[in-house]
Amino acid sequence: MASKSGNATALTVLSPIVNGIVDGKSFADITRERSLRIPIHEKSPLAKVPNTYLARLFILDNVFYESLPGSDSVFNFSEITSILSDSARKKALPRKDQLKSKYLVFSSNFYGDLDEYLTGMWEKWSYDDNGQQRDVRYIWEHCVAFEGVSDATSFIRYIKRCQLDATLFFNGSTDDSLQEQLKALYLKQEFSKFAAAHQGKSAADVQQAFKAFIARVQPENLSQPSWQPGQSTP
Amino acid sequence: MSNIAGKAYAMNVITPMRWYKVWLNRLIFWAALKAPNVLNGLLTLSLIHYARWVIIPRDKFPRLDPSQPKEELEYSYMMFFSNFNGSWAQYVDSFTFAIPSGLDLFWKMNVRYPKSVPLTPFHDYIQHNQIDTSHYYTAYPMAASNDVKSAKNVKKALIDFNAASSNKSPDEFLEDYNKLLNQLQHDFGEMRPTPIVSLAAQAVKERYMETQAGNR
Amino acid sequence: MTQNLDLTDIQGNIVKAYGSFGFFKARYLFLRVDDGDKGRDFVGLITAKVTSAERWKKEAAPSVTTNIAFTYPGLKALELPTASLMGFPADFVMGMSKRKDILGDDGPSDPQHWDKIWQETVHIWISINGKSQEVIEERYQWILQQIEASRGVTLLEGHRGEDKDGNPVEDLPYQDASVLYDENGIPTAKEHFGYTDGIGDPVFEGQTNNAARVVGRGKLTREGGWEPLATGEFILGHVDEAMEYPQTAPRPDLLSNNATYMVYRKLHENVGTFNNFLDEQTAIFPGGKENKELLAAKFSGRWRDNGAPLVDTPDNESKAEWDKRFAAADVPTQKNMLTNFTYNDDISGAKCPLSAHTRRINPRGSLEYGVKDAFDTPGALVNRRRILRRGLPYGKIKDQTSDKGNHGIIFMALNADIKRQFEFIQQQWINYANDFKQGNDKEVLLGNHDAKNPGKVVLEVEEGSGKPPHFVCNIPRLVETRGGDYFFIPSITALKMIAGGIIDPT
Repeated sequence: MASKSGNATALTVLSPIVNGIVDGKSFADITRERSLRIPIHEKSPLAKVPNTYLARLFILDNVFYESLPGSDSVFNFSEITSILSDSARKKALPRKDQLKSKYLVFSSNFYGDLDEYLTGMWEKWSYDDNGQQRDVRYIWEHCVAFEGVSDATSFIRYIKRCQLDATLFFNGSTDDSLQEQLKALYLKQEFSKFAAAHQGKSAADVQQAFKAFIARVQPENLSQPSWQPGQSTP
Repeated sequence: MSNIAGKAYAMNVITPMRWYKVWLNRLIFWAALKAPNVLNGLLTLSLIHYARWVIIPRDKFPRLDPSQPKEELEYSYMMFFSNFNGSWAQYVDSFTFAIPSGLDLFWKMNVRYPKSVPLTPFHDYIQHNQIDTSHYYTAYPMAASNDVKSAKNVKKALIDFNAASSNKSPDEFLEDYNKLLNQLQHDFGEMRPTPIVSLAAQAVKERYMETQAGNR
Repeated sequence: MTQNLDLTDIQGNIVKAYGSFGFFKARYLFLRVDDGDKGRDFVGLITAKVTSAERWKKEAAPSVTTNIAFTYPGLKALELPTASLMGFPADFVMGMSKRKDILGDDGPSDPQHWDKIWQETVHIWISINGKSQEVIEERYQWILQQIEASRGVTLLEGHRGEDKDGNPVEDLPYQDASVLYDENGIPTAKEHFGYTDGIGDPVFEGQTNNAARVVGRGKLTREGGWEPLATGEFILGHVDEAMEYPQTAPRPDLLSNNATYMVYRKLHENVGTFNNFLDEQTAIFPGGKENKELLAAKFSGRWRDNGAPLVDTPDNESKAEWDKRFAAADVPTQKNMLTNFTYNDDISGAKCPLSAHTRRINPRGSLEYGVKDAFDTPGALVNRRRILRRGLPYGKIKDQTSDKGNHGIIFMALNADIKRQFEFIQQQWINYANDFKQGNDKEVLLGNHDAKNPGKVVLEVEEGSGKPPHFVCNIPRLVETRGGDYFFIPSITALKMIAGGIIDPT
């Protein structure tokens, strides 16, 4: 599995959206609109899903036609034949592909086990949408065969059917639990302030203050005090 | 709403590759993993939280129900997802100049990939194939990848120091404390919200914040 | 150096820092075009006196120079074709005040507090650099006559400064600038905080035939040598470091070839605050008063008195030794001593802090963090972020304990791409520090610190020494933006075409 780097996991999900229209809107556009309206930072539903480092949603409408200059081979036989024959030239043009479904793409980087993570998504994902509480079903509602999803088990089974394995997962960060990461960030920020504030103080003063500091920040207590998931201001 | 969440930028790129080259690309990625020095530049650049390449063979797009039309594609596709610090427009130069051969390695098998230098064709290639993100979330909008790694360092050092030195005599304590500060001297950068890297993204965020304020 | 430049076509201020050619005084004028036709005629008249970059033979060097540049609204007022106008990059089209959120021009630096002249739309910038105030006055009078005769352009008033009797005024029709003189009346390279300025400007291909001048100023090679930067980093129509022509060039080629972009910024220096801050910080800096100058150098990366690079002179003893060698050296050796260094033996910042001004604006090879061959080239993250710095101090300090009055720097940065070069440095390296792994810690001297978010930097010490680093906290806003804009400096050919109304992008 290239989708793991230590305890960090890459989840890539392509869920096909039903081709169809309701009230003059396609299901894909309805899904897009819902994704666009999800609140950000602390208020994102992903802030509630345990162990989410970074995650995103978007709609894959289609693939692109490569109407670009350039060649992708060191030596391309068609470059020679294209000059000699017009049909060979046309054949050497990039092909035109067209997706038959649009896909809801969910890409997440998280800590730990996939089943646990997906259970968290099913149970914890919620946000306020102009006064309405929305759960995870609201985003996936119009995806193909999603009507069969009714509980965490069927949600996990569904997502796994939509899952693609990563060929290469690059971890440029850590693979600690999110609580661990957030606590560390909190400590870094607080200790920087402490160190600056106690510069030049006497040994006894620094020691005493340090003890109070440790009592306050509780370095080994991961739950609090700490930064909150999605916290956007100091 | 945007490709930007705090200090992170979400990039999605989907590019076609000839189906019979898929195995070759897999081999290249496998080699990159086995020989970590290929990733040396990327690690030193230290702008990325997490990134991934996903190859979708042309017959492997998820099909969940007979009612869903079967995809009939000429090409297989490579999707690239990255979470990096700074905007693409700002940092395209940094990536291109730091690791040009790395970028070429990863996209070499893709249709009409122009190579990373000169820069504009590469920049255009990425933008041509980029898909904007609708909702992007980071657990720590104020932290860059550097900060997350540095914080891990701080936490461990702090706990070790507290266990070993907090109850020493004041003078011995101070000596150890100074050693701790010395050891952590590159880890004291303050974390605040990101500078505004895109005026358009900022305008969107401000309008959004106004609607949020109105709701309260 | 294989690049041949059309020096007679390129405006002189791009290639030459006039200050180093004995032009110690300058006057900057800003105009509005009221009528396209007449405005173009005016441009034609000025073009006749525009100074090119042609190499001067000693006896033939002029005593006064004139250069001209345009804002985007200015080019529009001169009725450039829409297709040409659409080729300009968004940053230039918007202008500097609208980029304030990118640049961190907030609080006292907010455009609403800028000199009155920036409350209206500026179209044209004209500079006069002279070897004396008299020749500047003479050229100024000549320009006034052209303005008068044209009846299509207006000289804008509204610069803060002093009138002839030294009283503060807000409506001057020009901005004067001048090098600072020492107590004996000798011109110096200093600015008002006492730092030696203008060392180590980048060198690009075609600018000089003197290889010695490239040392420490061009781009660092893997072997540790120096090469001139690609011309296209600074002049449009030439290949840049990305092996292509700059993408910021409008059409047609004759409009953009040999042109560049200029950032003009009037930066007020809060001298009283700076002196007070330096004294306060000196009191708690290891070594105290004896290390006041060392501390000042830690802010900038160079010692105030002679610009000695801190990496080579990390303490008073090494500085004294360096000074002796410097005093005994010939001029080429002195220049080499000032510019020939890297941070490769000081990755930790123990000598020159990672927050120091010179290190922030030009990290040389240090963003590889000592990782062997991490990048394609040691300057991978730097070579696309260089700027030519032009400009001079303005005003005189009457009271070293006060911020009041009009004194600072007229800062001008020239580059092919304002967004990629100047704005990137200003935002990512001055007002932010992720590339330096220092979070949001701003550079001490230019950072937009304020009372709500006072600045802080860490002055690193030798790793493993057991000594704690030194924290500099509560850094106040030391420099405030008082005005400025983004300008396009066309070639002399393009000036003639603009004047003639014959720009055709078809």
